Amino acid sequence: MSGAMIRIEDVVKRYGAFTAVDGVSLEVPPGEIHGFLGPNGAGKTTTIRMIAGLLKPTSGRIAIDTFDLATEPVRAKQALGFIPDRPFLYEKLTAAEFLRFHGGLYAMEEKAIAQRAARLLEMFELTRWEGELIESFSHGMKQRLTLAAAFLHRPRAVLVDEPMVGLDPRGARLIKDVFRRMSAEGVAILMSTHTLEVAQEMCDRISIILGGKIIARGTVPELRAQAGGEDEHLTPVFLKLTGGGGFQEIDEGP
Amino acid sequence: MTTTIARPFPWLLTPVFLGVRNRARRRETGDGLRLAVFAGLGFFVAAALFAIVFWLSYKLDQYEELGDYLVRLGLSWLFLTFLSFLAFSALVTSLTTFFLSEDLRLLVAAPLDPDRLFYSRFAKAAAQAGWMVVAFLVPVLLGLGLSRCAGPLFYLVLPLTLLPFVLIPTALGALVTLVLVSTFPARRARDLLMLMGLLFAVALVLLLRVVQPERLLRVEALPDVTGFFATLQSPVTPFFPSFWAGELLFSALQGRIDELHLGALWTTALALVVLTRLAYGRHYFSAWSKAQEARKARFTRLRLLDGLALFLPVSAPSRQLLVKDLKVFLRDTAQWSQLLLLVALAVVYVYNFKVLDLDRIPYMSRVVRNAYAFVNLAMAAFVLSAVSVRFVFPAVSAEGPAFWIVRSAPVSMRSFLWSKFWTGLVPVLLLSTALTVASNEILGIAPFLKVVCGLAIVLMSFALVALAAAMGARHPRFSAENLTQVAGSYGGVAFMVLAVLFILVEIALLGWPSSIYLWSDYNRIPLTAVRLATMALCFAAAIALALYVFLHSMRDGVRALEDLG
Repeated sequence: MSGAMIRIEDVVKRYGAFTAVDGVSLEVPPGEIHGFLGPNGAGKTTTIRMIAGLLKPTSGRIAIDTFDLATEPVRAKQALGFIPDRPFLYEKLTAAEFLRFHGGLYAMEEKAIAQRAARLLEMFELTRWEGELIESFSHGMKQRLTLAAAFLHRPRAVLVDEPMVGLDPRGARLIKDVFRRMSAEGVAILMSTHTLEVAQEMCDRISIILGGKIIARGTVPELRAQAGGEDEHLTPVFLKLTGGGGFQEIDEGP
Repeated sequence: MTTTIARPFPWLLTPVFLGVRNRARRRETGDGLRLAVFAGLGFFVAAALFAIVFWLSYKLDQYEELGDYLVRLGLSWLFLTFLSFLAFSALVTSLTTFFLSEDLRLLVAAPLDPDRLFYSRFAKAAAQAGWMVVAFLVPVLLGLGLSRCAGPLFYLVLPLTLLPFVLIPTALGALVTLVLVSTFPARRARDLLMLMGLLFAVALVLLLRVVQPERLLRVEALPDVTGFFATLQSPVTPFFPSFWAGELLFSALQGRIDELHLGALWTTALALVVLTRLAYGRHYFSAWSKAQEARKARFTRLRLLDGLALFLPVSAPSRQLLVKDLKVFLRDTAQWSQLLLLVALAVVYVYNFKVLDLDRIPYMSRVVRNAYAFVNLAMAAFVLSAVSVRFVFPAVSAEGPAFWIVRSAPVSMRSFLWSKFWTGLVPVLLLSTALTVASNEILGIAPFLKVVCGLAIVLMSFALVALAAAMGARHPRFSAENLTQVAGSYGGVAFMVLAVLFILVEIALLGWPSSIYLWSDYNRIPLTAVRLATMALCFAAAIALALYVFLHSMRDGVRALEDLG
């Protein structure tokens, strides 16, 4: 697919003798919400961190909006919005100051930052708190502020690592709505999550990673077919594909 | 499409300035006290440095050529000492600023031109590494300039000297850090740096002591003075920036500009910054990426501790807390390596008493000797407070975000805090008692005073360790990034203030009756019943105060932990 917003080609990441990501290839076209699933330690976060430009791949190529991350990192990152699983926020800044700084990092003009920040603070229900120090925010508020920062510069591709952790149902609903709206506007979203209901509800396509390799890819019905079952929900499909039978062990006494 | 505008590199430091401004606007409990104490201390140290240098330089000015020679030599030594401090400080700050800082996760993911990121981090590293050196140097150099009635040229040359003097070691430190992180995992590199820094500090303390500056005060040793200066002169090399800085300022002091050394300082500084920038441009991302990968560290299992702990007559939770605390301490290089510095200071402390030549004033020797016993007691107690604020005060905060484990476990806050107390008391008591007993033995004080001081330091150890543990429980900082930060917090400063007050009251309560006893013993005058009763009352008050501080602190600490929201 030539018009992919996020494109990963045969990416490998080795830590000494251990291969964390083993030849992963992936494409997310504009407007698609792509789920990135896998059990703990499968290589999801390593892949996400390589796409965000935080880790150097051992080999392979990553491009954002056709810009190669290795040769044109500034232009590639300019097109990307990144929402990490453990976001860093300057605790002694206010929400408005943080957004202003974030906009500056993405080389936005002051006036554009002010207009866009006001709009996003309202969208993420943070307008009341814009003058408060981030250290006084709850987890959900910090999560929403991170999302506002990621969308501030109007990215054409968004990378999300575990967006729903610690959010209440209202916050989760809000984020789902925002992702859908962004996707409708043509933003490509690559979302890593453990919440299979969210993936099933929101993602157009899903890639499942296990042992550093993509073992399945497709829409939910396609994955269901690959797993060879008739299950309506994604959870049993995921468990069949990733061999997660050991989940019951904790309930079974000696 | 939004218009983009790349801001100059200092803009990337705005969170630092905004953070400071916001913190100043929204004062937290104790910020005022901390500011007052630190500002007062800072002002006092600066004023003392200024006064000493002003007086010394003024006196030396009377010796014409010899005076000038000594000022020149002094400047070289001053800058050499600060250069070595800067070099190690730059290594540690470079590692933190370029590789370990939390905000790098945000900045590296942003579309920033590598030059802007480099220069902003470099400026931050230079400021962090250099501020303390500059803060010490400025009053010293101002004292020198004013005592010599230096012209405006001296004050113009001052910043032109200090800036490249800070930039050179910072650039070198950043380069070495890049090589270290590219070679070792970041965690090992940090441990190596910590250890090197501490060994350096230990070596410096011992070196300064071995040089024996007190020889200058001995009139009968005058022929040795030439040899003393010869010792000082040998390490001063014309290839070091410290020498260039010293020469440049010495010339400016005499109203001349030393173009050669000014040029040497600035060209070296700029060349090194450019070289470092090139190296970072080429290798930074690989090194940063490597620093993110290396999360595993080698460590010692310390199984012996588990075995030894079984013999302790304490409950299972207390035993596990003790073993956990010791393992965490011994596996953290930043923690245990400070013991090296402590050992060096203890050696110097005892050595200082050994070289104290009180027999030079024979008619006063006995009085001074016994008065020194109380100076010694006060100093040992101050050392004890400093050690307690560094190691015992942060004990509760050290639980960090893992404190929920203790809180949700069936462990009472009482046994938790007492476990922290005993873990802190044993090493602190051993250190303070050993220091006091050894130095009193060397001083050769009256046996009566030996007993009084020995008992006093034991009582004070119990009281001060309890106070530190309790204040740490009353003002915990579970979210602090490191334990040094905890020691410098409001609670830490408040502890130091209370500790100093406690020590002064104790010394007064013990010193007065002891002096009465020694005076009557020396003059062979029997003590009256009233005197004896007053003396007993003072001793009893000293013991009661120490016991009160000890027991009340522990009760208060337990209550504070139980009241935690």
